Amino acid sequence: MTGTSTEQLTIGQAREYLLGAARTRGVALEVYATRGTSTSVRAFQGEVSEFKLHGRQGVGLRALVRGAWGYSFTENLARPALDRALQSALENAELVAPEAGSALVAWGEPPSLDLHGEGLSGVTVEQKVQVAIALERTAREADPRVTSVPYGGYGDSDSETLVGNTQGLSRGFKALYAHHFVAPLVSENGQNKMRGDWQFTREFTELDPTQTALNAVRKSVALLGAHPAPSGTFPAVISGECLGELLSLFAGMFSAKMVEEGKSPLAGRLGDTIGSALITLVDDPTLPRGLNSRAFDAEGCPSAPLTLLSAGRLTAFMHNAQTAARAGTQSTGHASRPGYQGLVGVGPSNLLLEPGRTPAAEIRAGVTGVLLTGVSGGHAGAHPYTGEFSLEAEGFWLDSGDVTHPLEVFTVAGNILDLLRDVEAVSDTPEWSQYGTGMPAVRVRALSVGGS
Amino acid sequence: MLDETMVREVLELARAGGADFAELFVEDTVNTTLRLHQGEVKDAGGGNLFGAGLRLLYGTRVVYAYTNDVTVSGLRDLAGAVASARGAQGEVERSGAGGLDFRRVDVTPLYVAREHPLTAARRDKLALMRRAHGAAAGVGDVRTVDVSYLDRVQRVLIANSEGLWAEDERVQTRLMVSAIAQDGTLRESGHYGPGASRGLEFYDDVTPESVGAEAARIANVMLRAGYAPAGRLPVVIGNAFGGVIFHEACGHILETTAVEKNASVFADKMGRRIAHECVSAVDDGTIPGSWGMVNVDDEGMPAQRTTLIEHGVLRSFMVDRVGALNTGYARTGSGRRQNYTFAPASRMRSTFIDNGTQTPDDLIRSVQHGIYARKMGGGSVTPGTGDYNFAVNEAYMIRGGEIAEPLRGASLVGNGAQDLLNIVGVAGDLRLGQGMCGSVSGSLPTDVGQPHILVSEITVGGRA
Repeated sequence: MTGTSTEQLTIGQAREYLLGAARTRGVALEVYATRGTSTSVRAFQGEVSEFKLHGRQGVGLRALVRGAWGYSFTENLARPALDRALQSALENAELVAPEAGSALVAWGEPPSLDLHGEGLSGVTVEQKVQVAIALERTAREADPRVTSVPYGGYGDSDSETLVGNTQGLSRGFKALYAHHFVAPLVSENGQNKMRGDWQFTREFTELDPTQTALNAVRKSVALLGAHPAPSGTFPAVISGECLGELLSLFAGMFSAKMVEEGKSPLAGRLGDTIGSALITLVDDPTLPRGLNSRAFDAEGCPSAPLTLLSAGRLTAFMHNAQTAARAGTQSTGHASRPGYQGLVGVGPSNLLLEPGRTPAAEIRAGVTGVLLTGVSGGHAGAHPYTGEFSLEAEGFWLDSGDVTHPLEVFTVAGNILDLLRDVEAVSDTPEWSQYGTGMPAVRVRALSVGGS
Repeated sequence: MLDETMVREVLELARAGGADFAELFVEDTVNTTLRLHQGEVKDAGGGNLFGAGLRLLYGTRVVYAYTNDVTVSGLRDLAGAVASARGAQGEVERSGAGGLDFRRVDVTPLYVAREHPLTAARRDKLALMRRAHGAAAGVGDVRTVDVSYLDRVQRVLIANSEGLWAEDERVQTRLMVSAIAQDGTLRESGHYGPGASRGLEFYDDVTPESVGAEAARIANVMLRAGYAPAGRLPVVIGNAFGGVIFHEACGHILETTAVEKNASVFADKMGRRIAHECVSAVDDGTIPGSWGMVNVDDEGMPAQRTTLIEHGVLRSFMVDRVGALNTGYARTGSGRRQNYTFAPASRMRSTFIDNGTQTPDDLIRSVQHGIYARKMGGGSVTPGTGDYNFAVNEAYMIRGGEIAEPLRGASLVGNGAQDLLNIVGVAGDLRLGQGMCGSVSGSLPTDVGQPHILVSEITVGGRA
């Protein structure tokens, strides 16, 4: 390899350079590198309002010095910058308290997973622009009550993730997705409502902007004519999409890292029955079409499905290498890392609730109460340490199973463990959410509602 | 950071496709992140963010691209990609070629850090964290303490085809303590996280001990709190971070990013009464050393103090360059972005309801049955509808004009345009609180703020 000191290496070259430098210095190092390009297009009133092209790469370093991890990252992939990053990781490790179970591992082979599909090389800019234009136009023209289509657009991403360590591990995978999203603003009798719809795919040709736009308008218009919600405790049906959002807010309960730091309400309850017998919850990173799928985790550990709750019983926590070593078990392949800038933790991929036996059409039969279709404000109103939540909600009033009217902005409150225990029926049809969850609708015995 | 010849070449290349305007944003950011868990250093990280973003405007249409290959060839490629991104829609002309003379913006720092984070030793930063830990650990029923430390030094260059050349350094530091109190199976957490655009001398004024003690106090108070009631009630909202109600309920819909798309209920309300006359509100980028301070915004415009609402009447939106083009309102120095990966958008800086004439006691005494929301958590808003929510971290019942028992699990939801009219009392104890605000151009340090206020009626979500 030739070149000047400021020459930018590829992420693969940077990984090999860093691991070589670490071996020369006799230090243990893990390198996590990503490279990605993406495009996004937004349209407003029939024209492209915003077009973005992104290209970004960088390496995250994790050095192990006397049982302690030190991190650093750099987006500058010239050799002197990589040398500085290595030095910085080693110095950071000197500050950190040694922890039991710290080790780098040369894991076994990951599953073969095609997350890249046909790729985007044959897709023209014009085709991408047309998706954004069609979404906006279809939504705007679908109903006279649509006053504006302020949010929406097309986006795609083509990325590569590499992991390597001085134990000899060296692996990577490529992933691609194309998606679109649209949220029309609708107005009637002084009421404004907005609800979005979206589509995520690994094949550009599968995108259907017309359908997505029509769905978004239908969902938004359905919220018009809302009445105040009564305050009280009512039976409720929670849509699969909403349940997925709710459970993803509380996924940290199943993290062994949260358990060992005293931040999970499930600590010490492995083997206990904590939910209804109708609840079986799995985290599966190996779904080819899952939003959060991956062949291996942030440490390079092979991905595999993990059953967290089996018929209501807590069967496993999610582990990375270190939490597993301390708990005397094996990593479940749930090391997470929010990009090369972030630190290694523990996190879920695609959370799935197994479908039940109640036909989707019957899940709300006979219910007088609330049909909950959305929650917001989870970053502040959901408390993973305790399971408590109090959230802005969207939904409809049910009278003997029939939807009578949408509800004005209201709140729902409770504890996620009570909610899992109170599940009385599970629908047979999963719904996918933008959080990567796949869950059927459920009926719960009681939900606390704050309204007028 | 880059030489003028190279910047000129990139901007001219970018304009070769007929754009009306081109802007280059280059940044070199160094940050440090440290975390103590139970007094032990668990995480030590940080690094170097390094890249450039190029924005072209064709009328009001935006083309944006970024790269972290900040070399001559990398930037040439970027400019070429941006110019060609318009594809069949672009008519090529050389209007951008030649004659670009840069005028340096005199960026006067509003505050200069005395103990610069880049020169301070990490061990000194850890010492601050240990002091915070010591003030929270073991206090009352506190069993678990996490202390996070962050500093960030962002150096930026902003140059555009109008000849603007601005360089700035932004220094930020923040300390956050999370305390969990536990008694048997009861568990509750308290958080406190002040920050500033200052060096480590910030902690001479806001001591780490005070940060730790405040998190511990909240956790202990809330541990044995009962559940909040649900329903529509009068609410007195505390000062400082209480201002998140204005931030969520009104601030976001006063940004031209929402206004220009008819996604704001205030879009056609300029000069009209939108709030009770006791409400005046300001978005200010010029408070020296404040968390939301900007010497220049990310479009190179010097900071301003912008009066949004004066005695209930809407006086200004927060306006960035594209917002000005779309709405006709003058720019207010509100173009901000998290980093080079985002195009700028109109965003808040230090946003607060200004002082009124009452006292907090006046407000509380006027409530027979309601809620005192002393410490707010975070919130969010749907800009198109103005429907917002936020969580209350420390709340109490008010009975007969007196603060009574603590309440847990309260959230407040409502509609910004309606609830702004329901602010019926404003005290005179304005303070600011610090938060991170997430929106279209990323996550930004912003101050929220207010004196104590009384909202006549708001939907409280608790256990019904």
